[in-house]
Amino acid sequence: MPVGTVLRDAATAEFFDGTARGELLIRRCDECRGPAAPQARTCPHCGSPLLSWTPAAGTGQVVSWSVVHAKGAPPIVVAIVELDEEPWIQVQLTDALPEEVRGGMRVRVAFERPEGGEAIPVFRPAN
Amino acid sequence: MNRAPVIAGLGITEMGKVYGRSAPEFAADAVRLAVTDAGLEPHQVDGLLTNTGITGDVGLSLQRDLGLRHLRLLSEVQAYGSSAGAMVQYAAMAVSSGMADVVACVFADAPLKDKSTGGGAAYAGAGGALTGWQGMAAASGIYSANTMYALAASRHMQTYGTTSEQLGHIAVAQRAWAARNPLAQMRTPITLEDHQSSRWIAEPFHLLDCCLVSNGGVAVIVTSADRAADLAQPAVHIRGWGQAHPGYVMGKDSEFGLVSGAALSGPTALKMAGITIADIDVAELYDCYTYTALISLEDYGFCAKGEGGPFVASGVLGPEGSLAVNTGGGQLSSYYMWGMTPLSEAVIQARGQGGDRQARRNDMVLVSGNGGVLDHHSTLILSPHAR
Repeated sequence: MPVGTVLRDAATAEFFDGTARGELLIRRCDECRGPAAPQARTCPHCGSPLLSWTPAAGTGQVVSWSVVHAKGAPPIVVAIVELDEEPWIQVQLTDALPEEVRGGMRVRVAFERPEGGEAIPVFRPAN
Repeated sequence: MNRAPVIAGLGITEMGKVYGRSAPEFAADAVRLAVTDAGLEPHQVDGLLTNTGITGDVGLSLQRDLGLRHLRLLSEVQAYGSSAGAMVQYAAMAVSSGMADVVACVFADAPLKDKSTGGGAAYAGAGGALTGWQGMAAASGIYSANTMYALAASRHMQTYGTTSEQLGHIAVAQRAWAARNPLAQMRTPITLEDHQSSRWIAEPFHLLDCCLVSNGGVAVIVTSADRAADLAQPAVHIRGWGQAHPGYVMGKDSEFGLVSGAALSGPTALKMAGITIADIDVAELYDCYTYTALISLEDYGFCAKGEGGPFVASGVLGPEGSLAVNTGGGQLSSYYMWGMTPLSEAVIQARGQGGDRQARRNDMVLVSGNGGVLDHHSTLILSPHAR
C-alpha cells in the first residue's frame, strides 16, 4: 500500500539522509550509550541531551497494530514496532494481511520512495 | 470566612450541529449562561480561564467579548481533554487563596462546518504538505487520534485479552443513559449487535466506539462556599483534585496503552478529599473512545488492572447497573465538549438535577479528564456536601 509524501525539516534532515541511503537511524546517548527513539531529544535512560545518530539493525517486533479504514481507500495496517535496539517506531506494515498480524510478530524494515518526498521506513514480515 | 471552593454555576449552549456561530461566540454565550445560572451578574466575575478546542480561537480576547473589566485572574489553559478539570483546579486555588472570588472557566469549539456550504469536520485530519516526524507518521497512515487510540486499545487487548464486544458494552450502556438525557445528541437505544456491525474506523474501533463531534460551549463558575451560600443553585463542593502527565517513553517497557494518568491523578484527588474509590457514587469519565472509559475504570481502581473488559461486560454499567458511569451518555452519545462533557454532567448529578437519569446516590462524584493520546489527565472529586 503506498505511503504519502513527507518533506524534511531541520529535526528530521539527518534521519531522511539515512532513509535515502537505505538506513534506519535511531539515537544513541553519548554519555550512557543507551538507545533512544529517532525523535528523542533527551536520553530516556540518563536524561542527557547529548544524542548521536546510529544505524539500527532494522529488525523488530509488532507491539500493537491497527487496520485503518478510510472512506474511498483500501484499508491499511499501521503498527508500533519495537526495534531490537528497544525504541518504538510508528510505521505502516506492508505485505502483511490484516488477519495475519499478531503482537510479537517479527518484522524487518524496507523503504518506500514516493515521488516528490523523502524515503519512508515501512516494515514487512521478517520471513 | 469559608473560602472552600465550590461550583456555583453551569452554562451549556445549544449543542451539536449548530452552525453560523464561532467558537468565541459559543464561549461568550456559555459564560453568560453560567453566570445567570449562578444568580450572578457578569460584572461580578473577577476571574476568567479559557480553553480552546481545535478551532484555536477562544482565548484572552474573550474578556473584551464579554465586556469584563478589572479581572484579577485571566489565562488560557491548554492540557487538551484534561483542561476542564485543570481550569477548575486553578480556579479553586485562586478562590481558596483569595486571589479571586468568582472565576468563570469555559471551553468552546466549532469544528463542524455546514456541509451545504462546503465544510466538514475539522477533525478530519491531514491536509497540505506533511513535514517532519508528525508528517512521517501521517504519511504512514497514522494521521488521527482515532488511529493512535486504536494502537493503545490494541495493546490493551493483546496484553489483557480485552475484546471488542466488551468495549461494546460501554457504548450500549451509555446510550441507555443518553436516552434519558434531553441534552444528548444520540438518544436512540443501541444493541451490542449494532455496535459490532457499525463500520470500522480504525480496528479495533468501530464507529460506535468513537465519540461524537459537537459545536457548542460549556462554562462553570467557581466561587467560595460563603459566596455561594446565597446564590441561586445548590453549591457543588470541590473536595479533591489531581493531575497526571505520564510522559510515556516510546520504547521497551512503556506503559502506553496499558496504564493511564488516572492511576496517579485519581489517588491524589481521593487523598485530598479524604475518601477512597469505594466511596464514589457517580463516575463521569472522559470517553473519547469506549476504551478510554475502560482504562480509566481500571486505573481508578473500580476493578483490577486488566479486568476492565469482564468488569464492563458484567452488567455493572447502565441505568440498571450498580455503578453510575457516564450518566448523561458521555462523549459517545451526549455531546463532545472535551473535559466539559464529564464535568457538566457531574455538576448536574451532584446538584440532584439529573431528572430521569439522576443517580440513586450522589454523595461523591468523580470527574476524569483525559488529553492528548493518554498524555494528560485530571481528576476532580465533587460533592453536594461541604467537608
